[in-house]
Amino acid sequence: MTGTPIGNEIRRWRFERGEMTQEALAQACGVTRQTIIALEAGKYSPSLELAFRIARAFGVGVEEVFRWKTE
Amino acid sequence: MMRRWVWLALVVLAGLALWLLLAGPSKVLGFDPGKLGMVLLVGTAWISLYAVSRLPNGELEAVVSPGEWRAWVGFGFTLVAILYFLSKISVFEYGPAWGNPDASAVARNLVMLLIAWAVLSFVMGSRWKSAVQEDERDRDIEKQASGWGRGALIVVIVGLAVMLGFSPAEKLQWATHFMIANLLVFALMWGWLCEYAATVVYYWRDRRG
Repeated sequence: MTGTPIGNEIRRWRFERGEMTQEALAQACGVTRQTIIALEAGKYSPSLELAFRIARAFGVGVEEVFRWKTE
Repeated sequence: MMRRWVWLALVVLAGLALWLLLAGPSKVLGFDPGKLGMVLLVGTAWISLYAVSRLPNGELEAVVSPGEWRAWVGFGFTLVAILYFLSKISVFEYGPAWGNPDASAVARNLVMLLIAWAVLSFVMGSRWKSAVQEDERDRDIEKQASGWGRGALIVVIVGLAVMLGFSPAEKLQWATHFMIANLLVFALMWGWLCEYAATVVYYWRDRRG
């Protein structure tokens, strides 16, 4: 569960979307707030479906939120 | 919110309850104090978790997810059930439950613990009624933890099979069919305990740092 190869910009996008709270993002994506916390901390890799849900909540493409760390 | 001394009193009461249940005298004035211990334990657990469930939103949810709460409650109850079961295991040597009042009392207490667990789970669940209670991360953790539970169950079953299969008959006088049936129940509870313990550890590792 630790050290995933997928990095993300969730925190930055939350900030850019008017300080969207973790709880609000969690509700928008149908997950618990702790999952958002784990994602932001890079401790959990989301499924493809959740990645799309998060990107959709921000109104951007998946590749703008998630990236492969080694690239 | 409850004051600190109330929490301290609950911890002392829970300790007393566990002592009465597991190591206390078998009879006091013709009364089994184990029953009082069980009632005290269920009562303190209920009050504690009810108090936790009344805490304002945000204090707990910030760190602990509903899935982790359920795992902690399950771990606590399974641990108490196993300790109680092992402390009273000698009563299962003598015949089936219907002709063995001591074994019936142990079974009754275990069922009572199970009912208390179900009620508490419902109370805890009502706290997150409007929120998402489980998602893919919880299921991922459950999947990994169930592997540990399955492994622990297999170890105990194989251990029992080896012990019963290879021990000389004179050393298995205690292994009545009723005792073996109860050891199989123990194997199940041990599997659950290990699964809950693994779940708690996975959640804790996820939150750490």
